[in-house]
Amino acid sequence: MDFNFAVITDHWRFLVGGVGVTLLLAVLSGVTSLAAGLVIALLRLYGPRWLRPVVIFYIDSMRAIPVLVVLVWTFFALPIVAGITMPPFYAALLGLTVHLAAYAAEIVRAGIESIRPGQTRAAVALGMSPAQVLRRILLPQAIVRMLPAFGSLLSVTIKDTAIASVIAVTEFMRQSETVAGQSFQPIEVYTFAMLVYFLILFPVTRGVEHVYRRVAHLGRS
Amino acid sequence: MTFDWSVVWQHREALAIGTATTVLLTVATMLIAVPCGIIVAVARLYAWAPVRAAATAYVELFRNLPLILVVYWAFYVLPIMTGLGLSPLATGLAALALNVTAYNAETFRAGINSIRRGQVEAAMALGMSRAQALRRVVVPQALRRILPVFASTWVSLFKDTSLVSVIAVSELAYVAMQIRAQTYRVLEMLTAMAAIYWLLGYPQAKLVDWIQRKYAVTE
Repeated sequence: MDFNFAVITDHWRFLVGGVGVTLLLAVLSGVTSLAAGLVIALLRLYGPRWLRPVVIFYIDSMRAIPVLVVLVWTFFALPIVAGITMPPFYAALLGLTVHLAAYAAEIVRAGIESIRPGQTRAAVALGMSPAQVLRRILLPQAIVRMLPAFGSLLSVTIKDTAIASVIAVTEFMRQSETVAGQSFQPIEVYTFAMLVYFLILFPVTRGVEHVYRRVAHLGRS
Repeated sequence: MTFDWSVVWQHREALAIGTATTVLLTVATMLIAVPCGIIVAVARLYAWAPVRAAATAYVELFRNLPLILVVYWAFYVLPIMTGLGLSPLATGLAALALNVTAYNAETFRAGINSIRRGQVEAAMALGMSRAQALRRVVVPQALRRILPVFASTWVSLFKDTSLVSVIAVSELAYVAMQIRAQTYRVLEMLTAMAAIYWLLGYPQAKLVDWIQRKYAVTE
């Protein structure tokens, strides 16, 4: 077997562009799903009673359907129903957000529920409004406790962006497929892709663990 | 817009076979990944240092790779490495097993580590050998703690089987997307695919919640 890694250096601009799109998609969908997840969790915990079953149904449905199916549906079927055509990148952003927001919501809910109810009662007894209790007492502690789970959600997000290659988003996985197909050197290209993904993901997982160890005491109560 | 939902019923047999393949892939992957995960976890905890390092490297590598890339990689590299002409199904199974074994190994390791060291020491003070202490004291407790995580891994695996559709394994996602390409009934087929996954996955997600409530660790 001969390996010729010149294929990587020949196409490096193309591949680096893909890494850029991967990171952009991961960061954007990370931020949007976090924001949406927070809203959904608050609706589940404090929203009107009739809304709760709807929210729970949405969360559990997203836990039941593969992200590939959500992405393919958003890109191919949603334009037929809604009459709007989206470029692949935005379809991927929407699909990933709809899927990951459910997980983010569960993390937020678990974080808030992990704070002993006695603290809420004490805060209310001191005259705080429910919004104040949330902002001043619950969230500051809960956010620290959510960190490890958000860290793994971030790495899941980065991994899930690779699935967006199926709907032709020009992220790194897709660009690797293209180079592998054109050069007839899939082994070199995919092995290189593994290395790149590992180098992106490993520091993320380790970095989050490191940050959490430094701030964990802030979440104790 | 006119939708023709009869296309779903017309292809019911193909969809049923695809669904069966999805379930089969999930079960077969777990049957491989549980024993392999135990071996890797034990290697990481108790083996000779170089073996331990290799097991750690394997777990860290595969936990930090997108599964879809592993699937492609297995598709192109496994035939060359092993010299065997593997079917797409076998390749997909191998890729899924490589991935899930790494996750299981981490789960088992964490489960064993979660039992306080004092318990093994107490068991050994009572005259048990290390193997006995492990088998009679640590493993029974660790199993209960592992179960909720293991259940989540199961559901993730069930969903991840859809990714082997990219190497033409005729499981549910691949079959549904093939029918979509042949009939041009895009919305109907994609919705049917999502609905079938939902029907199978929703009860599993609920079961996971129940297991997590029942076996929650309280100390």
